[in-house]
Amino acid sequence: MHIYLSAFGFGLVSMAVIAIGAVGFTMQFGIANLINLAYGDVMAASAFVAYGINHAGASIWLGLLASVAFGAGISLVLNRALYAPFQRRGTSHLGMVIVALAAALIISNVLLAIVGPDDVSYRMSSGPVIHLGDVVLTSVQVAIIVIAVGVMLGVHLLLTSTRLGKAMRATAADPTLARSCGIPTARVIDAVWLITGALCGLAGTVAAMNSESFAASSGSGYLITILAAAVLGGAGQPYGAMLGAVLIGEATELSAAALSPEYKEVVAFVILVIVMILRPQGLLAKLGVLEAAG
Amino acid sequence: MNGSRIKVGYGLGRAGALLLAGLLLLLSACGGSSGRASNSPLVVGILAPFTGPDAALGPAYFAACLPAARAINSAGGVLGHPIQCKQFDTRGDPADAVPATRQMIASTPNLMMVIGCTSDEASSVVPILDQSHVPMFCMTGQSEFNKSSFRYFHRLVPPDEYDAYAMVGIAVLLDHYDRIALVFGNDIGSQTFVPPAVAAIKKLGATLTINQALALGQASYRTEVEKLLATNPQVILTEALGSTDATYLAELKQLHGGMIPIIGSSATVDPTWFQAVSAAIGTDALVSSYQANNEPTTFNGPGYQQFKKLLAASASQFASAPKYATHPPTLHLYDGIIMTALAMVAAKSTDRTVYNPWIVKIGNGTAGASVVYTYGDGVKALQNGKAIRFVGAGGPTHFNQWNNSQGGYIVVRYTPTGDTETVGQLTQAQIDHIASEAGV
Repeated sequence: MHIYLSAFGFGLVSMAVIAIGAVGFTMQFGIANLINLAYGDVMAASAFVAYGINHAGASIWLGLLASVAFGAGISLVLNRALYAPFQRRGTSHLGMVIVALAAALIISNVLLAIVGPDDVSYRMSSGPVIHLGDVVLTSVQVAIIVIAVGVMLGVHLLLTSTRLGKAMRATAADPTLARSCGIPTARVIDAVWLITGALCGLAGTVAAMNSESFAASSGSGYLITILAAAVLGGAGQPYGAMLGAVLIGEATELSAAALSPEYKEVVAFVILVIVMILRPQGLLAKLGVLEAAG
Repeated sequence: MNGSRIKVGYGLGRAGALLLAGLLLLLSACGGSSGRASNSPLVVGILAPFTGPDAALGPAYFAACLPAARAINSAGGVLGHPIQCKQFDTRGDPADAVPATRQMIASTPNLMMVIGCTSDEASSVVPILDQSHVPMFCMTGQSEFNKSSFRYFHRLVPPDEYDAYAMVGIAVLLDHYDRIALVFGNDIGSQTFVPPAVAAIKKLGATLTINQALALGQASYRTEVEKLLATNPQVILTEALGSTDATYLAELKQLHGGMIPIIGSSATVDPTWFQAVSAAIGTDALVSSYQANNEPTTFNGPGYQQFKKLLAASASQFASAPKYATHPPTLHLYDGIIMTALAMVAAKSTDRTVYNPWIVKIGNGTAGASVVYTYGDGVKALQNGKAIRFVGAGGPTHFNQWNNSQGGYIVVRYTPTGDTETVGQLTQAQIDHIASEAGV
């Protein structure tokens, strides 16, 4: 029983990291109508921005802020310079996936050329270990969970209680109608890329903090679990992404407790496949704030 | 019409004969591996992962080629041909390695030899290289190559199972632990260690507390660490490359409140592994808790001194090259290239089918052979009609009938600067004893 309670605790941290990333990813899909395959590589790049700041002598928390700003900026540039022009030309969904894949390869290889292939770590202490019964977490891990809860609340308030949030929902539902109603959809899309890019940057750095060691190639690993959580919850559904993160995060850790660690990801993806068979639109489709795009 | 056709045919026949003669002259000037233009470069192909989870391996092998090329080119090249080093990335995956190998062979007619071919891809690429008559010095430790019929395959590193026996030997025979945990990555190269390690632990009377196969590159292994701690091991035997060991050991340190002694495979004796793990757990923790087995290189002697000097000079081409000065795979592959170059000089040929058999003769020596330590000295001796035995940076070679060479292990630990120091030894006899106990 002890190992399962410990695993549950570790799953909370995994869930927190995945949730921050998955919510941003799914909002990009829901509002901007794009499967951004470069998301994981932007996460990795943002983690290295924090690394650079941290290794220049600053606290990792300052690095975290820098990575958030970097993620926001690079995501906005990526959309304005690459994705939006192709979308304006009427490129098909499949075509946009290829464009996003190309962006991912470019970012990952440029990052590799700049930082090299070595695995690196932040200069930070994990803080004291906190025992909550059989659940054992470091203070940094508790901070990651608190950040994730704060981000989820922030996203909820944004989408339900702000004008921008309402504009995002309208743009996601029907961009043409939203424009007709006077909503500046272009600026809304820019805001979406800034906000989701910030989430991407944040997710990259907390993932790197949690794993203690990361490299330029870490991006693809991040993307797989984030994609799984987003699809599980319902593409374009932020609350679905949160639920998907809970399921994926806990399933991976509990399966590692019950089975060989080799099956960690296998179990998570088996759950995903089962849900897709039983409910292909995802767990919270049409129940969330945003509807699935396209 | 027939007459004119015949007339035309006759005309073409004479012109055709002239054309054919011209073509033959051209071909004899340009074609054939022993008829190359004397200053055309020969290529050493470095076939290894340069990207992917095992991306740390390729640079170590590139660092072997650069000083070898300098040594050879400064002594006039091989039969007048300079040497070039060229990388071919396998990404550590057979699915990428096979096309990379075929592309290398198709696009490199002046391919002299190949170095690298790690456990990630060797099973797939060695048959292709052998079929194409490409001499290779491979870093794979897979047991399928212990007694293989691949005539162009050469290995200066021991089989993985011997690495595994050495790790168990350190734990049980030298350090007298009897509760051992195995933590290895689930990649081909790392998992090769597990069955012989399990067999050896059992046969030597120790207890295997847990055997974990880690999926590489995961964000966290805390649950796996908790499971390991629950079995109360005295020592952990490990090889999980990339960020995996760094993440795992950092979480072990957090959850255990300190380190458990670690014995790493020879692959963990690597500047990249040291950098990743020391950054994650702290240099002091790594230095105090870690040992590994490694090939018994002495890091001295005239062959090593030349290697080290040329490696330092290679920093202008590859800034990290000097980091590999005490990295046995780099030393062994450097020796492999020099040996092959001397084989070409001894055979007086750039035809791979002609000089390949000379590699073993140069490595083991023949009766009355003079020992040489550098390429330049080897060429001079050969030009004076002497038989030679090359003893290089990694020490003497002892090829057996399957072109494998091995000679016991040393036990090393890291210093705070990331260099290694020898703290013990396992003789080949001890390894053979463990192997026989484990039923090999």
